[in-house]
Amino acid sequence: MDATLSVEHVTKRFGMGETAITAVEDVSFDVAEGEFVSLIGPSGCGKSTLFHFIGGLTAEHGGRVAVAGETISGPHPAIGMVFQEESAFPWRNVIDNVGFALELRGMPRAERLERARHYVALVGLQGFERRHPSELSGGMRQRVAIARTLAAQPRILLMDEPFASLDEQTRLLLGEKVTEIQQQLRQTTLLITHSLTEAVQLSDRILVMTFRPGRLRRVVQVDLPRPRNDDILTSPEFGAYVAELWGDLREEASRGLQAAEHAAG
Amino acid sequence: MAPAYALTVRRSRLAAALLILTAWQALASSGLLFRDVVPSLWRIAAALATTLTAPAFYANLRVTAFEFAVAIAIGSMAGVLVGLALGASHFLSRAYERWVHYLAPVPKIIFFPVLLLAFGAGLESKIAMGTISCFFPVAISVAAGVRGVPPVLIRVDRSFRATPWQMATKIYLPAVRAALLNGLHLGFGVAAIGVLLAETKLSKAGIGFLVMDAYHRFDMPGMYALLLLVVFLVAGVNMAVTRISRS
Ligand SMILES: Nc1ncnc2c1ncn2[C@@H]1O[C@H](COP(=O)(O)OP(=O)(O)OP(=O)(O)O)[C@@H](O)[C@H]1O
Ligand SMILES: [Mg+2]
Repeated sequence: MDATLSVEHVTKRFGMGETAITAVEDVSFDVAEGEFVSLIGPSGCGKSTLFHFIGGLTAEHGGRVAVAGETISGPHPAIGMVFQEESAFPWRNVIDNVGFALELRGMPRAERLERARHYVALVGLQGFERRHPSELSGGMRQRVAIARTLAAQPRILLMDEPFASLDEQTRLLLGEKVTEIQQQLRQTTLLITHSLTEAVQLSDRILVMTFRPGRLRRVVQVDLPRPRNDDILTSPEFGAYVAELWGDLREEASRGLQAAEHAAG
Repeated sequence: MAPAYALTVRRSRLAAALLILTAWQALASSGLLFRDVVPSLWRIAAALATTLTAPAFYANLRVTAFEFAVAIAIGSMAGVLVGLALGASHFLSRAYERWVHYLAPVPKIIFFPVLLLAFGAGLESKIAMGTISCFFPVAISVAAGVRGVPPVLIRVDRSFRATPWQMATKIYLPAVRAALLNGLHLGFGVAAIGVLLAETKLSKAGIGFLVMDAYHRFDMPGMYALLLLVVFLVAGVNMAVTRISRS
């Protein structure tokens, strides 16, 4: 199956009349099969709104999302999502959390546990298989959620700030592993992030969003070779990409801050 | 809790119990009240022994236990289903949940005449009383529990394309476990009330019937003995539910 993701003229408003907020306005882009695209933008610019829309979790449609050219209506089997909020099931231990999607599909127990164990190890949680989320740190819980979606081996991977609660080192290492899998499986990937370095480290392209209404401001092609090892992460080219993005984002972020101050004052 | 404190607590409890028993005994022997209204402790103890050795007591206990068991089985199952539906569907909740809330505090015994007409004076009408009593607290707790489930967990489930049945069994039920146990706890209590109350009307069997029978025969010690037994039985069931829900 061709796993191209197309987003066309997506618009989403919240509320009505005076207080209506246009969270996302006329956003269109494609993510080619096997491509890794990041979406970056200031807090509150509509990234999660767009994320839910692409995942088929939003009821009212304005615009369309297509997988391999076919418009989707609701959650699509090819799409796997990692959410921004903490989402490990508190009543399941780590291994059963990670095997959740496989369990829904009716995969035999032994096979499921084996696959789950593999992904638990991949996110660095071996030894914690029988622990419950309440016994883990916030970052570990987030890794459980990442492993749960990876274990489902989706053709299209959507992630909403999956590494936000991790420290810089873990974030780099985990980012490396996720791209490794992504390259292997040629997963079509859309990553939403706050982090400029993360976006440059992982992406083929970066979409920069504006603050309210959320539009696409610019698309940056990242022409750095893979794998993006330490040499590349410390290279001047890498720094140049980050600086360039920061120039764009700074403007949008300060508009976001002003809007917040205005609303508060 | 410090052991010394726990000991004081236990001693105070014992002291209060002794005080009540002494007061009762004093009242019984004072002759202030008609002798049979407050029988002496010895006569109650004797009646307790007679009751516990009579086969009639166990036959009636079996009837009550059967009615109670069937009532909580049907009542809590219906309560769980309705609670899940009300909690998960915004539409159903808006349309019908207020009915459940309005009906919940109505004393169910006022429906008993209708149940008698519908089911007759046998087991069925008593079971129906217990069932409708049990249904309301379970349905209300479960509905509130479902609404307390973090929306992101439901989104995860939807993104993995869970069927409605998987949604109910793998997300809602485990997520509402605490609320459900709380509802069952309340539900079992009111089901016991419903069944016993129904047995005191028109019925020819059950512990509630025995109590009323003792009353009509003016066998006050026997009646008090039965009341004590009911209290201990209900407390026992209650304790068992608490223990199970903690495990
Ligand atoms: N359910 C909702 N009802 C009303 N407004 C909403 C709702 N969800 C989001 N919004 C508004 O839409 C805007 C975009 O929200 P969104 O969650 O998409 O931002 P975001 O870019 O993901 O931010 P962050 O980076 O902080 O996660 C915000 O202004 C928010 O207030
Ligand atoms: Mg967000």
